[in-house]
Amino acid sequence: MKKSLYKYLTLSLIIVSVASCEDILNLEPAQSLSNETALDNDEGVKQALIGAYDNMSQTSLLGGELMRNAELYGADNEILWVGTYTAPREIFNRDILNTNGDVLDLWTDAYEVINSCNNVINALDVVVAADQNRVRGEALALRAWAHFELTRMFGQQYEAGIDNTQLAVPLILIPTLAFGDNVDVTRNTVEECYNQVITDLTEAESLLPESNDVFINKYTAAALLARVYLQKADYAAARDAANRVIASGDYELNNTYAECFAQDDPTDEDIFSAENSELDNSNVMVTYFAINDFGGRADIEIEESHLALYDDLDARKAMFFVDGDATFTSKFNNEFGNLSIIRLAEMYLIRAECNSRLGTAIGAEPVDDFNMVHTRAGLPAEGAVALDDILLERRLELALEGFKVHDIKRLKGTISVMNYNDPKMIYPIPVSEIEINPLLEQNPGY
Amino acid sequence: MRKYLLLIMISFVSMQLFGQGRTITGKITDADNGEYMPGVTILQEGTQNGTISDFDGKYTINVPESGATLVFSFVGYETQKITLGEKNVVYVSLKMSQEILEEVVVVGYGTEVKTKVTGSISEIKADEIALTPVSTVEQTLQGRAAGLFIESNNGKVGGDVKIRIRGSSSINASNQPLIIVDGIPINTVAINDYFNVYLNPLNDIDFNDIASVEVLKDASASAIYGSRAANGVLIITTKRGKEGKAKITLDYQQGFSEPTRLREFLNAEEYIDYFTQAAINAGEYDFANGLSGYATVEEAVEDYIGDVEKKFDRLAGHTDWRGDYANTDWQSLAFQKAISSMLDLSISGGTEKMQYFTSVGYSYQDGIMIGNHGDRFNILNNIDAQLTEKLKMSLNLNLSRSINNDIPDDNSFSTPLQMVAQSPITPPKDTTGEYYNTPTTLYYNPLIEQDNVFFESTTFRTLSNIAAEYQLIPSLAIRGEFGGDITNHYQERFYGSKSEVGLSVGGYATNYNATVQYLNTKLLLIYDKQIEKHSIGATGGMEYNKYDDNYNYVEGQGFPNDKLQTLASAAEIVAGTSVDSYYRFLSYFARATYDYDTRYLLNITVRADGSSRFGEENRYGVFPSASVGWVMSNEAFLKGSEKVSLLKLRASYGLTGNAGIGNFDYKGLYGIGSYAGTSSLFPSSIANPALTWEKTAQLDIGFDFGFYNDRISGELDYYIKNTTDLLLDVPVPATTGYAVQTQNVGSLENKGYEIVINTQNFIGDFSWSTSFNFSVNKNKILELADGQELIDLGGSDFMNVIMVGQPLGVFYGAEYAGVDPDNGDGLFYVNETEGSDETTTDFNLANYVVIGDPNPDFISGITNNFAYKNISLDVTLQSVYGNDVNLQGDYWMSSNASQYDNQTIDQLDAWQNPGDETDIPENRLLFANGTESRSSRYLSDASYLRVKTVTLSFSFPKRLTEKMNMSSLRLYTSAYNLFTFTNYTGWDPEVSTDSFTDNVYYGIDFYSAPQPKTVVFGVSIAL
Repeated sequence: MKKSLYKYLTLSLIIVSVASCEDILNLEPAQSLSNETALDNDEGVKQALIGAYDNMSQTSLLGGELMRNAELYGADNEILWVGTYTAPREIFNRDILNTNGDVLDLWTDAYEVINSCNNVINALDVVVAADQNRVRGEALALRAWAHFELTRMFGQQYEAGIDNTQLAVPLILIPTLAFGDNVDVTRNTVEECYNQVITDLTEAESLLPESNDVFINKYTAAALLARVYLQKADYAAARDAANRVIASGDYELNNTYAECFAQDDPTDEDIFSAENSELDNSNVMVTYFAINDFGGRADIEIEESHLALYDDLDARKAMFFVDGDATFTSKFNNEFGNLSIIRLAEMYLIRAECNSRLGTAIGAEPVDDFNMVHTRAGLPAEGAVALDDILLERRLELALEGFKVHDIKRLKGTISVMNYNDPKMIYPIPVSEIEINPLLEQNPGY
Repeated sequence: MRKYLLLIMISFVSMQLFGQGRTITGKITDADNGEYMPGVTILQEGTQNGTISDFDGKYTINVPESGATLVFSFVGYETQKITLGEKNVVYVSLKMSQEILEEVVVVGYGTEVKTKVTGSISEIKADEIALTPVSTVEQTLQGRAAGLFIESNNGKVGGDVKIRIRGSSSINASNQPLIIVDGIPINTVAINDYFNVYLNPLNDIDFNDIASVEVLKDASASAIYGSRAANGVLIITTKRGKEGKAKITLDYQQGFSEPTRLREFLNAEEYIDYFTQAAINAGEYDFANGLSGYATVEEAVEDYIGDVEKKFDRLAGHTDWRGDYANTDWQSLAFQKAISSMLDLSISGGTEKMQYFTSVGYSYQDGIMIGNHGDRFNILNNIDAQLTEKLKMSLNLNLSRSINNDIPDDNSFSTPLQMVAQSPITPPKDTTGEYYNTPTTLYYNPLIEQDNVFFESTTFRTLSNIAAEYQLIPSLAIRGEFGGDITNHYQERFYGSKSEVGLSVGGYATNYNATVQYLNTKLLLIYDKQIEKHSIGATGGMEYNKYDDNYNYVEGQGFPNDKLQTLASAAEIVAGTSVDSYYRFLSYFARATYDYDTRYLLNITVRADGSSRFGEENRYGVFPSASVGWVMSNEAFLKGSEKVSLLKLRASYGLTGNAGIGNFDYKGLYGIGSYAGTSSLFPSSIANPALTWEKTAQLDIGFDFGFYNDRISGELDYYIKNTTDLLLDVPVPATTGYAVQTQNVGSLENKGYEIVINTQNFIGDFSWSTSFNFSVNKNKILELADGQELIDLGGSDFMNVIMVGQPLGVFYGAEYAGVDPDNGDGLFYVNETEGSDETTTDFNLANYVVIGDPNPDFISGITNNFAYKNISLDVTLQSVYGNDVNLQGDYWMSSNASQYDNQTIDQLDAWQNPGDETDIPENRLLFANGTESRSSRYLSDASYLRVKTVTLSFSFPKRLTEKMNMSSLRLYTSAYNLFTFTNYTGWDPEVSTDSFTDNVYYGIDFYSAPQPKTVVFGVSIAL
């Protein structure tokens, strides 16, 4: 009896002495690193760069919503949204509320990418000298990519030949190190945004190596530049950038069209693909485009007006299948597969279009580039092509891959009866963002 | 219980005996039943000379030769004074006191005589809640105590529950009260997995083992718990043994449940007509507005009709919707016949030195939703031992095993109630007997889950505490306690090859394991001294709380056969992780109480808490409180009054804290992820080294009364709770790369009053007593971050916001203006300027205004007990008044055919012809037309009055039970949620979907299971 008392008192004393030691209240998390130490070493900065890719591959960005929404926004009766989520439905109806969740996610997540990149650029000093160019190049390219996607969703289409003073998004070029950084910012113009994107990508292209595993390399940067220049109708620069990619010889078209999609690994044709696996998956193109059997929700049906665009012999038409009474695409039938983001075919089509517009034949004649893509789809080679043929080829080749609304805009088209530059054809600035930063001006009509 | 507590108290008192004089002996009996009473204090008046009666009620005391008076006292009994005459043998029989106010109540780290309590404490006794036909303790408390608001998320078995004491005091930090079971704080964070299924942490406690529940409401009562007491404290005390022969009780009940309310949906014929008409309307609307460029209206209508008929063809499966169509009532398929049963066996008793209470309990409960079941097995062992004259020990050991076959959260196509979205023209099964799935069904068919999915959660929980107390000197004791709440929880889930999740991957399984260890060590010094009329008490101590949890899971896919469900059979392991989290609290506390003649009461407490959740500079918080009381009825001018038995005024003021936030919110962190098989780091939070406690200052003024020998008694309380330095996740511009930063900004207020009235309307053969409580709490956000008036993270769907000047979580959205009688357009008020009644069809032009409030204006409960001889009837009514619920699911099911989802019957009232006065806009197939979800159209008043419990019981007369060798035998029937009176348009008004519920997002109904209505029959036997 007494013994247990003493035992207890001893125990109590131990507790008291342990307790008086302040250390028990000093804990470090098990699943995170404190920011004081995370980026003070070479390895940490490189992991933070991977973090920028991780951010960029989120569902709202290259996980697929970026592309899905570009297709829904420009659906033009070619595809039909039948899903239950309200945010895509609003985009599909071109009747977007300024509280739209997808719009907010794009805004938030793109700036996460940008902040990650800026932190990496800021901490470059601790990276071993041999890798500094590569790391900086990748960070610049990702930052430019995020700014570009924001610019074309929140700002009106770039109009060639005029000063594009219409507002796009704030350009964020410094890291947020403490509360207060990057808080009171205003929207830059479309012109300023394009200039910064091009500056970043141009520098990235010059810094990056020719090959870089599954990450961004010199030609990824060039391919992005081609996209950016095409969107602003700078055809010569777009053509040249596309030409640099094609001329590198590092990529070749896959033998069949079907091989380009739903793959586990990048294909020969992929200049960039978003990496997914069973362990780390953010592929939501599957979620929306695929039917239940492939892990999707069957939210997007393909309409007859789109199917009618294809020749019956076109291998690309064979990508569609009927389930129940509706038609779906099989491009996204690999639940944990990669998402092809930039394919060589796009570069051929950019070069063809620009050469055709400019009457040049840099790299190849437009018809030859056209036929590269056209014959791969199992169709006979054409002897001559006009600009419209190239544009239609682009529409078929890149169908449902996130080009639709952007192409309509740069070609100054309409969606149903809505003009490409209708106020409703760009996203509202998320209202919650304006509430905390009143310096941000809302887009007209929202 | 009372005897036990007294034993503690008397063990503090010196028991020196005087050697001179004569010896008095005798026996003490209970006047009610003639049983001998152990533990009665016998004191020679005006001296310290005293003793207590032994196991057989015998006592012996030495007194001076003459002139002595003996005082016989026992808690809960009337004190008797006997002036000694000649006799040396004095038999005494003590009468039970009518004076319930002499009760002892449990307070923080101790007990206190109720009269001397200066704080605001509600107490719920075992007999009020025993045998309620529910599975968890908090469900029994609804309507029982003023200021205590309890709301189940939904009617699923084991689902999480919201408990609020005097409102919500925080925006982002936890609002659940601190819960103490037998001295140890328990983990109240719902265990969940990434499937969003939250399991109620009180699920594992068998409430039939509970002796009392104390609700500590004001700062005086709760401040001794310091940094975690801002939301009040619930103290649960389990039953303990009493000295005496073994008492065996057996309770058994068996019952049935069904939903409290159902909704009405279109049948097949109505569905076909309604959607066909919607297609015609849509075609006409499209043409009239030139939307798709149709050449003629006929062409437009034909096109839309074509669409709808194509859809009908698909939905009808093998049936012909034009002829012999199916007419499926999907709602009825979502429910099951639910049975429940409960068995409890307890044995208690003890000797003078050792008392025990041990019980075993088993309960089984079906949920009312298909596939939902739960069962629980409990063992409780409580032992108290007086080891030596000065040393005593106690042990509590509560073990449980709960199994829950849970069902998916409300926001899943696979949750049963989402079946109501399916079209009534769709048959559940095809001609081969297989369940239909998409594309025949509109959405995934949850019936497939019934035989192709297996979910089971198993929780092992140990709540245990050992305590030792040593009497250092007569008035000072030292007490040490060590205990913990240890949970082992694992979930097995198997999704077969036909299920939504398993379909594309050939079957899918997960195994999730969580271990939570919440350990508690305390050391206390307890001082108690009575000097004439001054009584002084002091308690001081320290406490250390250590929380660690770990979870891990493994996922695999590709199963050869749906019968092989463990991960051993998975072709591929596709995911796995393990995560540790932890925090520590180190605390010092003290309480001093003083009273003079039980007339003037003073109570002061202070606690200093250190927490690992804050940075070094702000780690410690100090939480003081002070309270005073004046027992007027003990003053000379009222003492002994026939009419007034109690009048007490009390007032308290103090500070409590809240640290219910993330473990490392003060730090700037990089999170860990991966991309392309390479690990990654990304900025996940901005540092805030200044982060510190959220503080709640509370003023409480209370008045306790009892008249006519407590035939009428009650309590009135008024309080103001002001919370400052709110731990707020302040939205920061996304351009920073972050979404929020946790800051100490802003303040909010809760104020309100509580009324409790207990009356004994009749006493005697027919007795009737009533207990009534009523509480009002007004919550108001006073201030947010600098310049911030509104936090609205709701997007297009969620209406709850945080707005200065408004209660937390008010509904903020467009104000629905009904239907334009000319054309059937749904309208919203523009609300550009106040008072303007301008309307618009363009939702973007409708300014958001406050359109509702999920917080009730008042809650109340009333319990009536009627008894006539051996028959008793207890009826408890509970009501919640003035709160709104956002019917978020109605965006789909009550949307004038803007979706193909089956519609509620009220949608038939849609506008048809110019001049129609209705609130339902014209049904235009797939056009939004007034269905934007963030509007007052989807709010409903969720006030309700419920007959919460009705229990009718019959006790067999003593002469019969004695023949059967029983001390009592009771048969009863009890009903829970028997009637619900409400104008709520959804299923059940007590709802907050398990998919989106937190401090701000609540009062949302999204295909949430209604509450069950349960009737049980039971028997209670005591030997």
